[in-house]
Amino acid sequence: MVYLSQQEVLILGIETSCDETSAAIVRDGRDILSNVIHSQISIHQPFGGVVPEVASRKHIENIPWVVDQAFTDAGLTYEDIHAVAVTNRPGLIGALLVGLSYAKGFAYALKLPLIGVNHLQGHIYANILEHGDIPFPAVCLVVSGGHTSLLLMENQSQYQLLGGTLDDAAGEAFDKVARFLGLGYPGGPAIEKAARTGEAGHVRLPRVFLDRPDYNFSFSGLKTAAMNMWIKLQRQGDKRVDNMAAEFQLALVEVLVEKTLRAARAYEVSSILLAGGVAANSLLRSLMENRAEDEGKKVYYPPIELCTDNAAMIAGRAYEDFCQGIYAGLDLNAQAHLPSI
Amino acid sequence: MLLLAIDSATPVAGVALWGDGRILREEYSDYKQTHSRDLMPMVDRILRSCEVDIKEISVLGVTIGPGSFTGLRIGLATVKGLAMAANLPVVGISTLEMMAHNFAHNSALVCPLLDARKNEVYTAFFDVHSSYPRRLSKDLFCSPSEFVEIVKEQRIELNYEKVILLGNGYTPYSEYFQNELGEEYALAPAHLMYPRAGALASLAVERAIKEEFDDVRTIKPVYVRLSEAEYQLGKEA
Ligand SMILES: [Zn+2]
Repeated sequence: MVYLSQQEVLILGIETSCDETSAAIVRDGRDILSNVIHSQISIHQPFGGVVPEVASRKHIENIPWVVDQAFTDAGLTYEDIHAVAVTNRPGLIGALLVGLSYAKGFAYALKLPLIGVNHLQGHIYANILEHGDIPFPAVCLVVSGGHTSLLLMENQSQYQLLGGTLDDAAGEAFDKVARFLGLGYPGGPAIEKAARTGEAGHVRLPRVFLDRPDYNFSFSGLKTAAMNMWIKLQRQGDKRVDNMAAEFQLALVEVLVEKTLRAARAYEVSSILLAGGVAANSLLRSLMENRAEDEGKKVYYPPIELCTDNAAMIAGRAYEDFCQGIYAGLDLNAQAHLPSI
Repeated sequence: MLLLAIDSATPVAGVALWGDGRILREEYSDYKQTHSRDLMPMVDRILRSCEVDIKEISVLGVTIGPGSFTGLRIGLATVKGLAMAANLPVVGISTLEMMAHNFAHNSALVCPLLDARKNEVYTAFFDVHSSYPRRLSKDLFCSPSEFVEIVKEQRIELNYEKVILLGNGYTPYSEYFQNELGEEYALAPAHLMYPRAGALASLAVERAIKEEFDDVRTIKPVYVRLSEAEYQLGKEA
């Protein structure tokens, strides 16, 4: 079934896969009419990371007003929308289930189609929301607290996995090292901030896997090396945590940039996409842009607010499924993990 | 009044439709529970088979806990979605009250037990002489041996001849309870042992008649217990 193209399509998106409760309304997969994001960061800070049970408890308290706010911000009523899209995979299972169960009830009562969205495809779609049509094929680096994957994209929805992390995700390494260095949570912004006054190169950390020809990553070794280095430095009386943060950030980012560019060269693509929470890292953005430019390639990334988890990317990603009539049944379930992206 | 009752607080999932003073249809499942997958199809089957549109429903009833944390949220999030979109009032009912209602108009002391894992049970004591269970204690969580101590004490203090035990909190410790408790203690038969959406509907109707509604936007599960991480953090602090 193809939806009549003259009519605008308004999709409500709901996202509760980790610690952000978000609802958004997007028109025709392009125009963000509202995008309400309620972050739980301050609640999880005392724990030094996201506590799944606490996140789930907060989602069920927040989801009603977050949804209401999305309609208020868009100036719309429930009756105006044409479908309900919800993140159903991958993520924290208990957290996903709050958004999914709510979305099912909401869609059912309004007799609207329900669309289950892959969270990672949502992150990638944030680029389409921001930049509109991107020239494909492209290489896409999906990099977040839960994922580090390199994809070759034929178009907006067809892709193959070139490689990924064999242990920690990049964002996970940021979190763990930031915690170890006493910089707080979340780790990505904390390390980026600390690194601003520091200088990389005073200490030297390994660029893990850069010597390997494949497109896989490993950050667990880098994390351990950084922790050991910091213990050693402190013993020697060196307390420059900013230098340490700068070197760690560079060591991680350089590998991401080099492997991504290598893939872009090998598959002869000129578009490079960044997606996911770590795509908000300004060193990753600038280094990727500078090096890509030297080779005549263009880098696309979403604005910061679309890098973090948000429902606009979910409502956007659902548009294509809506147009093709790909709807979920009432038995749609949540999946914590995916066999592949 | 048409009232739709939804319960997924424990390994049992149940949905019941109440109308014209009776239960029109009820679905009960205690088999390979996947509430997240099965609950909405159950709702849909019940409504379709009774030729009722969700917009014709007058009130939604839901169990608010105690119970499985995830199970409670699946039920309550579903009800929030339905109620907000269809603009329906909601009545939240205690899981333990609903279970006690299986024995309405009985002279025994009724103690529903829910498995709280970590070698603990959720429980509360109810007098069920009348048509609405009268709560004699707040929700408790305790070890099976603490429960035995409390229930023996309460039976004598409150002067009940018999005590009825029910719920999935009994099962893992059945042998222990049998050894510790005498013949004053009776176990519910299988059809009254676990949560029934029909019982939830009956209680929710009573509350709805009195217009004792909950705010659909702010109603929260009753967890009784903190999350493990909060508990640990509290110990450190
Ligand atoms: Zn994400």
